[in-house]
Amino acid sequence: MDYDLARIDYTVCGITYPDTLKIMSPLGPKVDQKFAIGDKNGVLQCLSIKDEEPVVQFKTLPGKPITSVQLATTAGQQADKIFTASGNEVKGYTRKGKVFLCIETALTETITSMCIIGNDLILCSGRTVTFYRDLREYNSYVCEDRVLDIAAFAVPNSTRIRLLVLVANKGAVLLENGKLIARTVISSGPSRLSVPPSTHVTDIVAFYGASDGSIGLIAYEELTLSSKCLVDGRGLGSVVCLGWYYNNGNFHLSVGRHDGSIQLYLIDMDNFGEKPRLKYTYFCGEPVTSVAGGCVSTEESELLVATFSGRIFALRASHLVSGVKVPQDILAARRAKLEGEVARLEKQTANEREKYQQNTRSLHAGLSTPPLLDVQHELLGAGSDGWQEVRMTSAVPLDMLFIYCNQKLQMQTDTAAVLTICSSMETGSDILASVRCQAGTRRVWIKIRYTSDTFINSRLEGKRVLIYVLPAGAPRVARLLSLKLPALPYYSKHESEKDLGSYERTLSQLQVSGNYSVAEMTSWLTEALPGELPRPASEITFVRIHSLLETILICEYQRGNATFKSDNVSTIAVLRNIVSNCSVEKNISVEITFDIPEDCCVQSFKNIENKFKVEYQKNKDLILKNAISMLDLDSSMNEEGPLLCQEYARVWDSKDNIIKNQFNDLVEMVLQWYLDWRTLSLHNDNYGNESTKLQAALKDCRLDNVLKILSSKNS
Amino acid sequence: MQISTVQPVFKLELNHKVTPNVVTIAKYDGTHPCLTAAAGYDKIIIHHPHGGVGTGRAQRSQAHGEVSELNLSQAIIALACGPLKTDSNRDMLLIGSPTQILAYDVHDNTDLFFKEAPDGVNVIITGSFGKHTETLAIIGGNSSVQAIDWEGNEVFWNVVSGKVCAIITFDFDKDGENELLIGSDDSFIRVLKNNQFIAEISETGPILSLSPVNEVRFAYGLANGTIGIYEEGIRLWRVKSKQNALAIQWSGDTLACCWSNGRVDWREGTTGRVLRRIQMRANAAAMLLADYRSVGAPDLVCVSDKGEVLGYPPYQETAGFNSVAKNLPSEEDRQAITELFNKKQALMVELQHYEANAASGNASLDSLDRPATAMPTNTRLQMAIVHSEDEGCLQLAISTNNETIVRAALVLAEGIFENGETFARHPRPSQLRSLLHVPLRPPRDVPVDVHIKALIGYPDSEQFHIFELTKQLPRFSMYRLLSKEARNKGNSYVLFRITERVQRICIWVNQNFLLEEELDIESEETKELHISLLCLRDQSYLYMDFGADGQVRFSTHDIRLAGDLIQSLAVYLNLSELQSTAQFPEAEKKLREEMEHVSQIGEARSRLAAETAERAQLITALLPAAQDAAAYDLREMLNRYKEVVMLNEELLTGCYIRRSTQEQAVASLKSLHTILQQAVRLRVGKYGKAVVAASRKAVQSNNIEALIKIMQVGGDS
Repeated sequence: MDYDLARIDYTVCGITYPDTLKIMSPLGPKVDQKFAIGDKNGVLQCLSIKDEEPVVQFKTLPGKPITSVQLATTAGQQADKIFTASGNEVKGYTRKGKVFLCIETALTETITSMCIIGNDLILCSGRTVTFYRDLREYNSYVCEDRVLDIAAFAVPNSTRIRLLVLVANKGAVLLENGKLIARTVISSGPSRLSVPPSTHVTDIVAFYGASDGSIGLIAYEELTLSSKCLVDGRGLGSVVCLGWYYNNGNFHLSVGRHDGSIQLYLIDMDNFGEKPRLKYTYFCGEPVTSVAGGCVSTEESELLVATFSGRIFALRASHLVSGVKVPQDILAARRAKLEGEVARLEKQTANEREKYQQNTRSLHAGLSTPPLLDVQHELLGAGSDGWQEVRMTSAVPLDMLFIYCNQKLQMQTDTAAVLTICSSMETGSDILASVRCQAGTRRVWIKIRYTSDTFINSRLEGKRVLIYVLPAGAPRVARLLSLKLPALPYYSKHESEKDLGSYERTLSQLQVSGNYSVAEMTSWLTEALPGELPRPASEITFVRIHSLLETILICEYQRGNATFKSDNVSTIAVLRNIVSNCSVEKNISVEITFDIPEDCCVQSFKNIENKFKVEYQKNKDLILKNAISMLDLDSSMNEEGPLLCQEYARVWDSKDNIIKNQFNDLVEMVLQWYLDWRTLSLHNDNYGNESTKLQAALKDCRLDNVLKILSSKNS
Repeated sequence: MQISTVQPVFKLELNHKVTPNVVTIAKYDGTHPCLTAAAGYDKIIIHHPHGGVGTGRAQRSQAHGEVSELNLSQAIIALACGPLKTDSNRDMLLIGSPTQILAYDVHDNTDLFFKEAPDGVNVIITGSFGKHTETLAIIGGNSSVQAIDWEGNEVFWNVVSGKVCAIITFDFDKDGENELLIGSDDSFIRVLKNNQFIAEISETGPILSLSPVNEVRFAYGLANGTIGIYEEGIRLWRVKSKQNALAIQWSGDTLACCWSNGRVDWREGTTGRVLRRIQMRANAAAMLLADYRSVGAPDLVCVSDKGEVLGYPPYQETAGFNSVAKNLPSEEDRQAITELFNKKQALMVELQHYEANAASGNASLDSLDRPATAMPTNTRLQMAIVHSEDEGCLQLAISTNNETIVRAALVLAEGIFENGETFARHPRPSQLRSLLHVPLRPPRDVPVDVHIKALIGYPDSEQFHIFELTKQLPRFSMYRLLSKEARNKGNSYVLFRITERVQRICIWVNQNFLLEEELDIESEETKELHISLLCLRDQSYLYMDFGADGQVRFSTHDIRLAGDLIQSLAVYLNLSELQSTAQFPEAEKKLREEMEHVSQIGEARSRLAAETAERAQLITALLPAAQDAAAYDLREMLNRYKEVVMLNEELLTGCYIRRSTQEQAVASLKSLHTILQQAVRLRVGKYGKAVVAASRKAVQSNNIEALIKIMQVGGDS
């Protein structure tokens, strides 16, 4: 960490969406830059900073939430037009705040990102990318999943434009003229794009930030689109926004994350593929929605940051902060002014509070309808350890969460919060938990996992989890979040159909035919699969991969007919249960047929054999390590030579990497395969004895025995 | 709060593991402080940076040049030091093992004394208190405190209910004499003055640490992660953490707290606000105050369990830890501005809430177009506590005054729920009503504050209103008033005499019991009061009869309850002394059993010890014999080794037996002490003290009959 930056708060606005703060390019060489910010209340503000005090250049009236802000980058001219998108509307403002453009598009979904090049306007909403030339719809392209971000590149010697589009769960595609010309799959789940500032607009190259926290590069060279991961996530939060920060002659990629951290990475502008070097990290405590670099207040550039709850602040080199640039009295005056403002607000709030409370005493019952608390939440699919994470972000500090599920679950939470499992009175099979947060917590995560004994229950349907979110201060209301835990949480990895190679798989197949729509099938599948499913279309095909076993699930469905293929027989069994359950609930008669190959268990077990051996060894090491740690060895006693034999010393020294281990999960899953296989393939005669044998063989890692039992047709 | 980058003023590595909480700093030569710690099961290390400790039992450590090692054959539970010898200012080292205390003069390499401690040793401190002017070693056992002088003579002994976890000497009542503050695992901090308990502070968890702050304040830390400060017996503040506080020390006008995960924070004395925070590289083992650099002022010495030692000077307000003034005024303004923006933001959110509410205020009450967040404005929450005899608990009833429902209720109270301090109710959709019952079962008779958060709305609401209520449960809330008078009041009772008007007693009853309606005296002339109560915990009866002649009789089978009632009444009526006679056959029977048990175990223990010693000797003889045999006859060698193995196994079995008898002995002693403690609590003031003195004597002489006599009529005073 080489840089020393200090925080300076400028102002607050409403809740902001990602990437809605933009710094405008300077008019002259020595003029401070202005910036524009749009918030959820629909207010677009253009501000400049004088002596650390924001000066409003213009400010619009509230309206629909602003979801995207862009600056026009007309070739040859300075970017001086501001475009905002809210709902399906696009508005254009001049530097002075005059509206020169206002169009209402025919798009049905909210515009999430946009691009303006010359007279071309590209809008992304839902799954569609729509291209407007001279404000007329020119062409559009429908992607397989939601469009997350977009970047436009001009084609040399042509008026055509190439679009680099990030598609959720898929990766990136390159479009030209409404046609796909190249695509690449990025498994880390990229969420945000950023084009390096000094490249020619014709070189198609962009950095991406991913939801697993990693940062990488996408480039189009010699007609292929390729991606490369440059920085691993390493437990950092998912990337919300990217920006550029120019300082000391170097370009830095600034990264704003959901966990509230901001990083500066030094980028080698001559060789983008070089590993970026981390130069600075700052924690601001709440998700960062925009980061942008520019000379806003001083001649030297600073990093301007907007957060989810609407704080706007700068990170500026410390030597500038403590320098004599801003006179002391001005700062004091600013402080006094703010104090006055807060005092006024306090009084006003007290008045309103009084009024509100008077209402509660009146005999005439009115209706109190406070607005919903702003809480964003997200349920992630399970990683290889089976834990599913729920992330919550609130605009106001949280006091506690109260969690209910009608089935026992395992739970974990943030280090900044205390999780208590409350005893439940009634049936004993449900779970009540409270999570008390530290003061000032605005984001909190909980991890949930099926316990092994309730896993059987969850094979019939997804589980509903209710989370009540209680804020620390006013307003005294609790928001209810309702989540559905899918029955197959492990199928969280997306894969394209082409990349399935490498393993020899024996696929079991489930066919469902009946009088149902694609939308209905999609809703049934939400009971089973984590993450977002593709939006209903006439024909849908997608592939998911089990994050622990790496078995696959291929889903193909259309109106009235669906086929599911998997090399994991339990998956097929669960899907069958869910589809039949859901169809009964909806009163739709469906015909379910399945085809289970005889060798499905054996083949699948052969695929995981190596993994199984590794996990078995890890498990053994773990047991050994526990035993050694109980001996309470004194590491300082080594003068008489090594205490432990080599093997034990290796286990003892392998510090933390074997704490997590999925051996027991694996054993259970393989056992379940066998049981499901016996049930589904109608070898339904007594196999209790065999399954006990199998379990024993698995536990002792006697693989020959395991294979023998798995391949035996009838005992 | 970010971890600050405070640099320690000194830093050293002991290269030894350190057992948490068994660390002390002593001046063995009278001037130079030496860090002394338990390293592993039976090893003590002494760090002497100022030149070597003389030769003797301590051996120079291989791992570190300035560290000496001292090996004992017993587990080390506690370490303490102090100038016990009146003729010298050199610190003596006190080593506590599970059943023994050894006082050792490190400088002279001599043992001062060696003493058996049948009550066990949990904590040792040195200090003077009360009338004793010389420095004493004060030992906290499983249910007793004991003070011994430098020759090993017992100067003082008393029973404490619960295992003693922390002791300090502190002038609690500001009379110029120190009292003993004792924290025990039954969640009480007790003040012992002149061999009698003058105050009892109820806390919410086992007390792990106590530390004096100044003349009137002391700090405490609990096993549930709470730390706080008391001023003159009133809690100033407390904070709770996930971690356990390992040690707390007052350093430079701040309270430094060392958490078991290696985090140390400095907090403001009056509010508990965190000023600075550091994180050690390993889990913490101890934090002590000592002038380790010999600069004239004590530094905070933090020791991690890996043997890293860090020293921090006292915190200073203006300059922080570094003498360079880092905070420029402009910086301060900027921080203030950031703070102000925080405030502004919070206020704006609240204001928006009211505005949006007013905007939609005239929506109709119709359920059809009701928004998902709506609720009638005049909704109110009512609460009542009723006794539920069938389920043996208190029922907390929460209800709204209209058709809205109680979606969920969270009850926060400390010390009355089995796991944690939260209890939640979340009825199933079919059972949603505007009334919700929450059962409460306070396990002990102390006043409890109950905070309730109820979520109120319509069944299909997406957002619920939070209603918060606080209710104080009186001390004896688990007793329900019975209307009928009983004839047979049982043969367990305590009798005493008070001279007080019935009217005042009536007020005491109203304050301390949960009654459906207040007890009222019919006329001024009434001189008697008879109350019958039912305990909801075990369905037993309690009768309180206040006679016209001042005779009071509490009839209950529970000696503890009788004691609690007497203590509570004595505090209310401001009685300094109270003598009573008691009949508690259950307690007496138990006392007989335990006494017998203890003496039996004592015999068994000495027999076992003898057997073990014998076998150990045999092994030491056989081993060399086996080694010799290797030279001439392999078969002979094998046989001898087999014998060794067999003997070893026998030794191990013997060891298990000894361990279990030891555990039994401790348990018996503990329950014995608990009964004695309860007998003491039936009396107040000097009569209580007399019971302690008399029963100590009786226990030592193993006189069961005398003990029972003492319990019945009190000690002679």
